[in-house]
Amino acid sequence: MRQLVIHQAGPAASVQDSGRIGTLQLGLPPSGAMDADALFSGQYLLEQHADEAAIEMAYGGLLASPSEPCDIAVTGAPTHLSIDGISASTHTVLRVEAGQHIHIIPGATGVYSYLHLAGGIDTPRILGSRSTSVREGVGGLEGRYLRDGDRLPLGAAKSLVNDRMASLTSTAPADPITLRFVPGFQYASMKPDAIAMLLGEEFLVTSKANRMGVQLEGKAIDTGIETLLSEATADGAIQIPPSGRPVVLLNDRQAVGGYPKPGAVIRSDCRRLAQARPGQKVRFAPCSPQEADRVGWLEQHYRDTRLS
Amino acid sequence: MYEVGPAGEAGLRLVFLEAPQPTLTRFLLSLQQAARSQFSDCLADSVVGYTTLTLLFHPLQWERDRAGAWLAEQAEKRPQADLEEALAAESVVTLPVLYHPSVAPDLEWLADQKGMSIDQVVALHSATTYFAYATGFAPGFCYLGEVPAELAVPRLASPRAAVPAGAVALADRQTAVYPGISPGGWRLIGSCPTPLFHGGDQPAAFLAVGDSVRFEPITTQEYRELGGVL
Repeated sequence: MRQLVIHQAGPAASVQDSGRIGTLQLGLPPSGAMDADALFSGQYLLEQHADEAAIEMAYGGLLASPSEPCDIAVTGAPTHLSIDGISASTHTVLRVEAGQHIHIIPGATGVYSYLHLAGGIDTPRILGSRSTSVREGVGGLEGRYLRDGDRLPLGAAKSLVNDRMASLTSTAPADPITLRFVPGFQYASMKPDAIAMLLGEEFLVTSKANRMGVQLEGKAIDTGIETLLSEATADGAIQIPPSGRPVVLLNDRQAVGGYPKPGAVIRSDCRRLAQARPGQKVRFAPCSPQEADRVGWLEQHYRDTRLS
Repeated sequence: MYEVGPAGEAGLRLVFLEAPQPTLTRFLLSLQQAARSQFSDCLADSVVGYTTLTLLFHPLQWERDRAGAWLAEQAEKRPQADLEEALAAESVVTLPVLYHPSVAPDLEWLADQKGMSIDQVVALHSATTYFAYATGFAPGFCYLGEVPAELAVPRLASPRAAVPAGAVALADRQTAVYPGISPGGWRLIGSCPTPLFHGGDQPAAFLAVGDSVRFEPITTQEYRELGGVL
């Protein structure tokens, strides 16, 4: 069986594909790659299905070897890649021989990078997805982050002949990053002051940022809402707990929550936020659902024309 | 009274501006079913909360206006009669509970607070049939109501860092079982040995929104036989 042997796993490496669908009522988050563009780029490079699973790394740091010759690609946040100690290019297809060491070290910007392997990671699909939901212990390899010594099964691969390049990712620098959000949920019932602060103030990404969400720091926002009956969250939902410090909920979010939410950040900006390091400045800007659709169509067009 | 609004860029949220009640939950569950068949090609997920139904669509693959109009139309057609007859025919789910201070750090405190014996607390908690209003917090966690007013108790001022799996808990007029080890601010009055969530290859939750639930007191020996660890 083709395998990838993990020699050093790094702090938060996990198997992720495009995520799980239809499991929120069960309490399972969608999970899936935090930078969907980067996942998509890698699958394009390896000419495989967009939903094939890859290894997601937070802040790089992976040392691994395939048991048999294998085409690979590294995408997402910039990294230093070497094969048996020799520096190699990211965002393109590389041939790695059996036993050669793939070494990925984090670069200076961004958070999430991806190691894609021809044939994909062939761990079992749970409820339709190979994505790992670590908190619930579901998916990926035994529902957990990868460890030193793990062996990941790889799917059957076709031989590749291409000179594709693809570097879609969401780490483009901006200061501050504008997080466009669709107002909704408790937007209309929050104190006007709270909305004014949300729209007017700058916030900083803190180190409490992970696959569940990104905690922001700034002036505390008093929503004026004391209690709230639990209801569904949404991808990108801006949750304001009693501390007054907003948290933007991402892929591994709780399916249901009881904190007030003035709206949800659009997908495009969720990816940018996920790739932002602590200290990054962000602002919020309201955006109509129709405007969010236009951004979505534009990005889809960009992907289709860049990757074809 | 209801409102339909966005839930992010690709979602809709229907909220009824009224107190939670089983009748409403049953209606929201029936609406969730209807939405699944109406939008089978573009609906990614849906969640019934206490007074809400949230529909999350595949971005760019749905018609926002048409879906919004459909949802408002369905809300408008809410039947006055309870759907209980049709939907609540299923039997009551029974959860075994060991009510004993060794597994329930707040049981004696609660009895003291309420001027009752532990037996009286147990009798009250286990005599009520609860309704599962919402899932949340963690997979397998169900908000059950309503706890008798005599047992209503505020949350801890600062949550415990680690509540054990199976802890039976109280907060305000709600009760619940913690499916796994987690932080938690509810008062712990017992321990349920039945696993409420399975991960692994076939993830499944033991309770679902709309279920009727009773707690059945068991002995230490029964607790051990059912897999409980003391």
